[in-house]
Amino acid sequence: MKFKLKIIHWLTLLWLLLIVFQHEVLFQYLSLWFGYAKLFFVDFSEAIDVLSLKLVNVILSLKLFVFLPALYIIFRKKWIFLQGNLNFSYALLSLLIWILIFAPIITDENPEFSKNLAVTKLLPPFSSVKILHLAGELESSQSEKEKFHMRLNQTVKPAFNERIIFADSVIVSESVVYFQKTQKSELQKNELLLKNGEPFIQNKYFLLGTDEYGRDSFARLIYGTRISLFVGFGAVVLSFIIGIILGFIAGYSGGIFDTVLNRFTELFLSFPVIYLIVLILALFGSSLFSVIIVLGISGWMTLFKIVRGEVVSIKQRDFLISAESIGLKKSQLLAKEILPVILAPVIVNLVFLFSNVILAEAALSYLGLGTGNLYPSWGAMINSGQEYIYKAWWMIAFPGAALILTLFAANSSGRRINKIINPRLDK
Amino acid sequence: MMRKKILFALFLIFPFIFTACDSKSPEHNNRVIIGISADVNIFNPLFTISVDEGAITELLYLSLFDYRWNEVKGGIEAGPMLAKRWEWAVDSSSLKIFLRDDVYWTDGTPLTADDIVFTFDVYSDPIVQSRLYGTFEDLFVDEDNHIDVSKTFSVNSSFEFEVNFPANSVPNLDVISPSIIPAHIFRDLKRDELSYSEQNFKPVSSGSYYLKKWDKNQTITLAANKSSFLYDEDQIDEIIFKVDPDYTSKIIQLKKGKIDLLELVKVEDIEELKSNSELKIVPVIGREYDYLGLNNIDADAYSNGEVVPNKYFGSGNVREAITYAINREEILNERLLGYGEIAATPVSSIFKSVFNDNVKPYQQNITKAKNLLASEGWDDVDQDGILEKENEEFSFTLYYPSGNPLREFASMRVQNNLKAVGIDIKLEVVELGTLIEFLFERKINAWMLGWYIPIPVELKPYWYSDLESTPLNFANYRNVKVDSLLDLLQTNIPAEKRTEIIKTFQKMIHDDEPVSFLYWVPNICVYNKRIAKINITPLGTVSHCWEWRLQ
Amino acid sequence: MEIAIKNSPEKLFIATEKQTGKAFAKRFLTSLITLFLLVSLIFVFVRLSPGDPTKKYVSAQLSPELSQKISEKFMLDKPVIEQYFAFLLNSVKGDLGVSYNFRQPVMKVVWEYFSFTLVFSTLSIFLQIIFSFSLAIFVARRKNTFLNKAVSDFSLFIYSIPSFVLGVFLIYLFSVVLNLFPISGLKSLDYDSFSFWGKILDQAWHLALPLITLSAAGTAMFYKYIKEGMDDVLHQSYILNLRSSGVKEKVILKKHVIPNAISPLISVAGIELGVLLGGALITEVIFSLPGMGRLTVNSILTRDYPLIIGCVLTAGIVMIIANYLADIIKIKFDKRLLKGLLN
Repeated sequence: MKFKLKIIHWLTLLWLLLIVFQHEVLFQYLSLWFGYAKLFFVDFSEAIDVLSLKLVNVILSLKLFVFLPALYIIFRKKWIFLQGNLNFSYALLSLLIWILIFAPIITDENPEFSKNLAVTKLLPPFSSVKILHLAGELESSQSEKEKFHMRLNQTVKPAFNERIIFADSVIVSESVVYFQKTQKSELQKNELLLKNGEPFIQNKYFLLGTDEYGRDSFARLIYGTRISLFVGFGAVVLSFIIGIILGFIAGYSGGIFDTVLNRFTELFLSFPVIYLIVLILALFGSSLFSVIIVLGISGWMTLFKIVRGEVVSIKQRDFLISAESIGLKKSQLLAKEILPVILAPVIVNLVFLFSNVILAEAALSYLGLGTGNLYPSWGAMINSGQEYIYKAWWMIAFPGAALILTLFAANSSGRRINKIINPRLDK
Repeated sequence: MMRKKILFALFLIFPFIFTACDSKSPEHNNRVIIGISADVNIFNPLFTISVDEGAITELLYLSLFDYRWNEVKGGIEAGPMLAKRWEWAVDSSSLKIFLRDDVYWTDGTPLTADDIVFTFDVYSDPIVQSRLYGTFEDLFVDEDNHIDVSKTFSVNSSFEFEVNFPANSVPNLDVISPSIIPAHIFRDLKRDELSYSEQNFKPVSSGSYYLKKWDKNQTITLAANKSSFLYDEDQIDEIIFKVDPDYTSKIIQLKKGKIDLLELVKVEDIEELKSNSELKIVPVIGREYDYLGLNNIDADAYSNGEVVPNKYFGSGNVREAITYAINREEILNERLLGYGEIAATPVSSIFKSVFNDNVKPYQQNITKAKNLLASEGWDDVDQDGILEKENEEFSFTLYYPSGNPLREFASMRVQNNLKAVGIDIKLEVVELGTLIEFLFERKINAWMLGWYIPIPVELKPYWYSDLESTPLNFANYRNVKVDSLLDLLQTNIPAEKRTEIIKTFQKMIHDDEPVSFLYWVPNICVYNKRIAKINITPLGTVSHCWEWRLQ
Repeated sequence: MEIAIKNSPEKLFIATEKQTGKAFAKRFLTSLITLFLLVSLIFVFVRLSPGDPTKKYVSAQLSPELSQKISEKFMLDKPVIEQYFAFLLNSVKGDLGVSYNFRQPVMKVVWEYFSFTLVFSTLSIFLQIIFSFSLAIFVARRKNTFLNKAVSDFSLFIYSIPSFVLGVFLIYLFSVVLNLFPISGLKSLDYDSFSFWGKILDQAWHLALPLITLSAAGTAMFYKYIKEGMDDVLHQSYILNLRSSGVKEKVILKKHVIPNAISPLISVAGIELGVLLGGALITEVIFSLPGMGRLTVNSILTRDYPLIIGCVLTAGIVMIIANYLADIIKIKFDKRLLKGLLN
């Protein structure tokens, strides 16, 4: 029998790759996790106090990294989609979700970290700079809490660190001389962190180069994937909820509700929605959440039509009456009778909606109305990259490619699912 | 099949046909093409808003005096234009002006004193809402700020008239310097409909160039006005303003020689443009500065009608500490690539005579910043990296406007820099209009914005304590001593005294640091060397383009 | 609009409903109501938002009195309801007010920009139809499964390229590196001195890259619709009958398959045209074209209230008209098809 590559093989490969390349990071996170567990028992209130988004993010990713394989082994019979045959678009979509979950493990850089612009600004891919570590104050008599704080700051890198210096080149002799562009500076050895008596100097590699703030493009791309997918999922879920609820209400109650909601839907359909989005974002300000909400409330129309159509047709059939007579609630009716019937077209629609939303977010960012430069979304990266297209092609090329590939994967998966559900086209 | 192949071949050579047709442009070299970003919306000096609108309209409509930039003195000087000479009365209470008698509007009507009187009547008419309404306090005005024409002007003949100044005013030429409009065209129009009359787009003008063609969103073609007294045979035939919102496109056209002059060139492009031997680069510094705005008073209390110092920025020491913490050198070197200047006060160094060069900008000094903050009681008690005072963290939102990459850059750097001293900033981007509304309502703590400074120096609207009468004092800066200086400037005082007051003002502002002044933004002009006799000054690039020559 | 293109298959739902004359009349009324709702919605949005157009032009001279006077002029000091009724009254009279930025009647400004958009999007639609149709026929004639799959994958790839990525790439390649096309603008400076054909060539030269950018995704989408329509027919039993009775493949394609594939195409094209007429925002931004998309967004960004409403109203009307036209044409085609089958 011929061996066929399945989605699970791909995921296993990704998992192993992370272990091979990021074992140091994984190890650090693990020790942080244990440190936190320890703190949890020693000083509960302090443990709650230090709980931050960053910490949750890291620990959650780590937990999933450890437990997902175990879960798979337990539930492998149920998770049949993982046994599906691998193709390009599925591989890409699963990679994206992989990045979404494991971003902090894939890169431990902070996407906002920026320092010594003279050295780090607009570096091409695969370039490297030297890092000098300044000596820290000697910590003494540490409590559990202080220890944990220190470990946290070392592991989860903050967006700012005054203890390190980036330099183009370093010469170590009696003292340490380092160069930043044309500027030459000098430090005494005892001002630096020492390792075996010699100053501890590291190389820092920028895999995909840096942007105009000297921030690591690779880290930004990885976290940008998170933002873009987050916007995509958020808006799709919102559209889904609005579409389903309004569709059900309109179809079920009929009458004036139905007419009004239909008019409303037509209103949304009869107008290039992008202007409405631009209008709202420009007038009321744009943030991550306003973008999600606006995109969410501009995409529910088709779902509404699907659900409403199905509800109306079911209403005329007998089993609804029997379902009502045995006392099913409306919500149960929705969940048990209607959703399963419309599931297929809804899923196809959601996939297309997802690609629309990602595209729309990028387009909005391109117009300067997106999530802004505060979050590293792909659209924002393309937007800032466009300004530097002649000097730093990498700034626009990588997020641009990521966007095209994602849209392609989403569209082609959508078509594929559509074909499976509607075999009409396939003879 | 054959047919298709021919079609395909045609499709392939398509671009080359076009390129061929592009290169054979007719012999039309006596013209200069200037790249601008947005089309103008109006050709009427009463209503111009954008810088380009103003520059083009001033070419079309002459004014009484010809203002030129004096590099040595660092100021402007008035010369004769429509007014061929003028005489002050001994007590400076009136000014006698003799007009040229050889100036004609483009429809052939002569320009007379009648036009002048009419012009100022319209400028100050509240119904018209001209851009200069409310600026004529130095003349006789009624309670609506409308100029009392009969008191102000006494017309002796078509080409001779007098301007009378009220007793308590500061008589000056500037107040009557705006562009003159044709009375015979505008007199019959309804004043409240002037702002959208057809005449705004078909100017009957008096300048050395007239509007030959306006191809909306494409080009504005000005042609030499051969009947103008400024005309001479070597003058350039046509000045064409080419509208192109895309910056990159303009730069490429500049390199290809399809645009002869471009302003607001980004510093990143200078290195490459320098290598082009046909181009000359002139940076103009000192017309615009960006600053980190800090609200000196408490926003909530102000909305209740009280004026209370801001809990963060109420103290001068804290504001000074913030400036000490910001690495302005880095922004200047890495973003502006060394063009531009660090700003210490709102007075630009181009005003050489009044600029106080004893006031030196604060150098970045983290230790000093930390000490200053500690002296004000800000201390990181809980060791989380953010300062506290009375259980309140030093954490605020900095608003910056969308669509300005430089200010965005500065905001992000400020956020990063202030982390080093333990100040936490959340950034929020808002649309410029919204931000300005926030500032008028005085309801935000910190913002990133800039001022385009007027020539000559104007200070009172921005730094005077009376918050009711100075809506532009966004920082809500209040200092009685500064107020008394600013009040003195409004009176009729000798020039030396003026200079001294402005210098003291800079010292006081620097000590108080009402906002964190960041840097003077460079305006980099690049032009093709085939334009000769061009003189780019802080007053603008095209202001005397009739003097340009082509080589 | 590029984003909306991708929505348009959904919009088929309205279009595919069978319409009779009476239904048309009813729809006309409901369209009017829809427009009314649309404009009201925008009005409310605009007036509720923060930001005041009179405060935009800050200068040292702007006294509180002056700003107050400007507010009065634009009725901004009155309650929103009052402004709303005044606005409705004026709109019915055909007066949408005066644009703050252009200082000209809104109708005049909108018309200037709309005329460009009209030409631009009609050209683009024609290109899209011609290219997608020829491609579909080209593929259908050769019964080559590999070619079929390759073209369909490629079209999906093209469809997935955002127009701002495609546009930036085209400019970089053709204008900057190869120096073949202008980067922006509509005509050369010496346009007036060209001969008639020179003028046409000049315009085509300037519009080439924008048209490619605007049409790429649409062409790919049309291709999919035509191809699916054709495949649908090809698998019908009567085609098998025709084939078995020895009718030439070419004739089958011409007489039966193509007319059948046109019908869905037309309804999609109608909606697409409507969308494009609303303004091809991104393309216009990339190539700095004076079209409705940029006008709308600029009016929004500068808070030019009357112009925002004028643009939105235009876009809405155009969408509705385009839907009508698509329906009418489709009904015509259906009848012809019916007749053809009966004969």
